[in-house]
Formats: sequence, C-alpha cells, structure tokens
Amino acid sequence: MVESTTEVKTKHILHHEEEVMGTIVTFDLYDDGAPSKDLERVLGEATTVLHEADEVFSTYKGDSPISRLRRGEITLEQCPHQIGEVLELCRVARTISDGWFDPWMMPGGVDPTGYVKGWATQRSLDVLRRSGIRAALVNAAGDTAGFGGPRIGAAFRIGVVDPAATQRLACIVESPGAVATSGMYERGWHLIDPHTGLPAARAASATVTGTDLGLADALATALAVAGDQALNLVEVLDGYEALVIGYDGTTSMTSGFPVARSSS
Amino acid sequence: MTASGSKITKVSIASINDGGNPRSQYIDQSAIPYLEQQALSAQSAHIQGVSGASYTSAGFEQSLQSALSKLGL
Repeated sequence: MVESTTEVKTKHILHHEEEVMGTIVTFDLYDDGAPSKDLERVLGEATTVLHEADEVFSTYKGDSPISRLRRGEITLEQCPHQIGEVLELCRVARTISDGWFDPWMMPGGVDPTGYVKGWATQRSLDVLRRSGIRAALVNAAGDTAGFGGPRIGAAFRIGVVDPAATQRLACIVESPGAVATSGMYERGWHLIDPHTGLPAARAASATVTGTDLGLADALATALAVAGDQALNLVEVLDGYEALVIGYDGTTSMTSGFPVARSSS
Repeated sequence: MTASGSKITKVSIASINDGGNPRSQYIDQSAIPYLEQQALSAQSAHIQGVSGASYTSAGFEQSLQSALSKLGL
C-alpha cells in the first residue's frame, strides 16, 4: 500500500512509571509527534487521579476515609462522594457476577479494593483522552486500559501472562479498551470466596476484556474465584469477554474472546 | 540494551533487588537471562502491554511488563 504523504502516523512518544497504590502504574502515550501538547501537565493530571483515589480508598492507610468507614467511625454520608459512587458500581458488579464479586462479604467490613484500581485507572485514562492525545495505554499492575492503538486503525495488543510460567504469555488479545487479569500467582492467597469468606481461586487465572476497566477487573476477580463455571455470566454481557485458565492448563473462553493472531 | 539497526538484540535487566538473600539471588540469576529472552519474544509478538495477576511495586521489576517497557516498545 502506498502511504499518502498527508497521512498522520502515530508513534510512541512517552513512557512513564508511577509508584502509587502499592504498585507501579505504567503510562505509554502515542501521538503524531506534534510538539504543541503540554504532555508533562497532562501526565501530572492523570497520575494525580490515581494518588487521590489511593488517599480515599487505601485500606492500608489507617486514616483513609475507607478505613474509617470500615471501622464505623464515619458514615457513608460523611465520606467523600467517590466512595458512594464506587460502592454503587460494586453493587452492579455484584449483581452481574451473581455474587462472585462481593465487597460486602470481605473480612473486616466492606472492601471495594477489587474495583478501585480499575476504576481509578479508567478515570486516569479519561484525562489523557480529553487532552487530545491520539492513543494511550495505562497498565495498573497487570490491568490495562487504553484508547487508540500503536498505529492508526490498529488496536493495542496485550499479552496475557501464562499462570503456569509467568515469564511467558498464554495468549495475545486485541484490546477493546480494558483487559484485566486476576489470579493468585503473584501475591498468594488474596482472593476471597464471598460465599465462605475464605481465600479461594478455582482458576489459575481469569482475564476479562471490555470497555470499562473497573467492571472488567471486578469480573476477572469473580471468575478467578468461581472458575469456568461462571463464564456464562460474561457470555451474556454485551461488550465483555472472558478467558479462564485452569491449574491443569486447560483454557475456556467466551465465544467472542478477542484472541489475536500470534504476530502481526 | 543493544540495538542492531532497528531490532533489539540484547536486553540487560540490571536492577534486581535480591535483598542479599542467597536463595533469592540464585533465583534471580537464573531468572534474568530467561526474562531477557522472553522480552525479546514479547517484541517479536508485537505487544504493547502485558496483563496478569497484580504485582506489588517490588514485583514489578520481575514482570514481563517491566521487561517490555525496557525495550522501549
């Protein structure tokens, strides 16, 4: 194909690693290289969204509003409005997941941690989108949110870690926006079965793709706990797909899971 | 990092924090060449990001996303 000389090409212009929420969040920005955009300021606004969410929602900070709510020191009405918003979204995710994602069943009181990282990352990405940058990919500890792609007309390709050999990829997906993966292989037994209150994961890993990283993250958590028996919950959901990898390496996925060709 | 033309041929992952633990040092030593190799296959897979179970700040350095980032995409 002959490229028109007026065609605007997208290229990688910035990589940034931000330490926040107990992890590293990476930012990769793509643009046509036009120097007019104030990248540093935009990136600052995008990372501020994550730090602000951490201040409100961190259960590791004893004086955060969520910690005080969990201890019963303040009511929901006394909390910053973001807590009510996120709990409402958690309620929706609980319904969609048929109770496999349930912040109200966590030990120590209501804990929306499983929703917050994806929710905050999606909001951080929205800051980048509003700035007029052509494409961006944000990776919050293995959960990615992006818009645009590495080239005009191409979606971001995201590798999914093989839970049995974590330096390898199990597959590559064409990102529809959000790609979230949950599993026990990085941090041990932190996934809780809402039905028992005990740590449990029936799948080695679960990956959910969709349009919103908050919901995708919550559903990935739900499927990691429930295993492939819960795949149908995502199958019926418009715009969302899922892949479940078992401890024996077997994979199951919804009918539209966006597996990419091995190279492009 | 060594670049040959536009193709990266060698990735060095230098800053591994082993905390002086002999066992973790042993694991790191065996993991580093493997990570380099996998970073190269990540490049050949033309991916821009990696999705996996959540890592902590300390775990990031060993992650495929970190290796991919070091390649400069």
